[in-house]
Amino acid sequence: MGQTLVFGVLNGALYGIIALGIALVFGIMKYLNVAHGSLIIVGAYGSLFLFRLGVDPFATIPVILIALFLGGAILFLSFFGRLIEFPEGARIKNSLLIGFGLMLVLDNLATLIWTGDERSMTPSYSGITYQMFGLRLPLIGLSGGFLALLLISVLHLFLSRTYFGKAVRAVSQDHEAASLMGINVGRTFLISFAISVSLASIPSVLIGLQSFSPTAGIQWFNKGIIVVMLSGIGNIYGVFPAGLFLGIIEALSVFVFGATYREVTGLVVFVLILILFPKGLLGSGAES
Amino acid sequence: MKDPKKVLVALCFVGLSALVPLLTKSEYLINLLVMFFLYVILSQSWNLQGGFNGQISLGHSAFFGIGALTTRLLWISKVPILLALIGGALSSILLAGIVGIPCLRMKRGYFPIGTLGLAIIAQITVGNILPVPGSLPSEYIVGYSLSSRYYLALSVAILSLLIVSYVVRSRTGLAFVAIRDDEEAAEAIGIKTFGYKVKALLISSFIAGLGGGVFAYHQVSYYYQSPFELSWSFLPTLTTFIGGLGTILGPIFGSVCYLALNELFAFTLGEVHLVIFGFTFILIVLFVPGGLMSITQKILSLFKYFGRRGRTETLPN
Repeated sequence: MGQTLVFGVLNGALYGIIALGIALVFGIMKYLNVAHGSLIIVGAYGSLFLFRLGVDPFATIPVILIALFLGGAILFLSFFGRLIEFPEGARIKNSLLIGFGLMLVLDNLATLIWTGDERSMTPSYSGITYQMFGLRLPLIGLSGGFLALLLISVLHLFLSRTYFGKAVRAVSQDHEAASLMGINVGRTFLISFAISVSLASIPSVLIGLQSFSPTAGIQWFNKGIIVVMLSGIGNIYGVFPAGLFLGIIEALSVFVFGATYREVTGLVVFVLILILFPKGLLGSGAES
Repeated sequence: MKDPKKVLVALCFVGLSALVPLLTKSEYLINLLVMFFLYVILSQSWNLQGGFNGQISLGHSAFFGIGALTTRLLWISKVPILLALIGGALSSILLAGIVGIPCLRMKRGYFPIGTLGLAIIAQITVGNILPVPGSLPSEYIVGYSLSSRYYLALSVAILSLLIVSYVVRSRTGLAFVAIRDDEEAAEAIGIKTFGYKVKALLISSFIAGLGGGVFAYHQVSYYYQSPFELSWSFLPTLTTFIGGLGTILGPIFGSVCYLALNELFAFTLGEVHLVIFGFTFILIVLFVPGGLMSITQKILSLFKYFGRRGRTETLPN
């Protein structure tokens, strides 16, 4: 039981980082990037490529991060940027459709390039676990949790202490008013989108250390969107606790219903939340 | 269908398709056409809700799947196929009523994600409960005739076309389009928006359930979860958008393109046609909201324009 919970918490940290990328664009721009999971998988392949050249998986994070940042910027300039003018509901719907098309393209390109086989990275330290209070703590899971905490603090400092972060928060509250105050909304959107895509780099490596295949993207997107809904849209600080919550719920459901219904539990929670609490569970968020 | 010319053209197409099994013995061609009818059924069903009522659903695989599952189970337990088909469609309506209606109550813009969630739940649950492939009993395989599958698929496809074109031309159809174009304005002029959204969902799920039944009748052996796969949700979305959202001919057109690309790249690993289709889909969502139908209409009107100008120039002489 305790051991199940430990794995639940460690998985939850991973869900939290995935959700952070989705929540950033969803909260600020009302873009729902369905392709986020596929971008994570593409990042994982990049990391695998470098790993085979002899680079340590964790050392590939900065490279993947920069590559995904540039990729995100290109995607925004070519496709997503055209939706800025749309009203909120239409922006969610159209970004979702574009993301959906992008997901099909990325998933099937990945299958063409790397075949449909399951892959994973196995560095020498992948089996190391620590014993504490009679529980096993895997090294990779722990470092994932640590990275998640680091990431969320950096993002928090960035959004709360920098001038750009202030602009982002202003745009997320009312982008017309923000534009009247002299904020370049287009550029703020561009950079936020690119940051959101680059946030996929850490899950890329962590998922790369587990196992992945070209079509796994949508599963990870599901985890992310469930967490975003749990935390409430526009509430970036709720994302991490909500991720842990989902991880623990899943772990408990494995305990009660068996591993085959793990995915179902999260989705049932998700649909119930959509129907019963459209604003999310934790706090009301910055909903207009 | 007031235009007698259009009726004539439609009847010609139906007559020609009815003759196909008599003219050819090629199983490949007939199977291909059955798949085509299946795509038409599914995308018409999707189009009624997504194209005419503006509710983009990613949950149609659940309706399709439950229709297939119920029809198959009824049919195997010796219920005549037509009754089993109706049973499948009713089960699909039931599912839509239980889980789809709450989804319609979600905040605007969340309907696609909610229905996607439901489709995944349905797929995993069915995969867990019935993990075995559902083969037909041997006496059914002995009596298997492809042409009866063909005619069933053809008639259900025609039925779905008739239902959708009838509904779209009725008062209900006007209300659907009004809700799609501006929900608040529709509400303001006294349209009960929620009721009409439910209506669109139920009719759409009915057709999707029939489509599932055709699938169950056509396939000799498949995993029970395979009609629940998400690709059955993605397919009608793609074909309808690419063919032309909110038109009767658009989804048919889109299905032709999809099948053609699919066959063209049938021997490559992975799915090249999906890469091309996904990319076209993005471009169409962004730049050509009317789909291929609007492009052909523009080209046709361009021809007409030049034709007319040519005529007026020659007339004075």
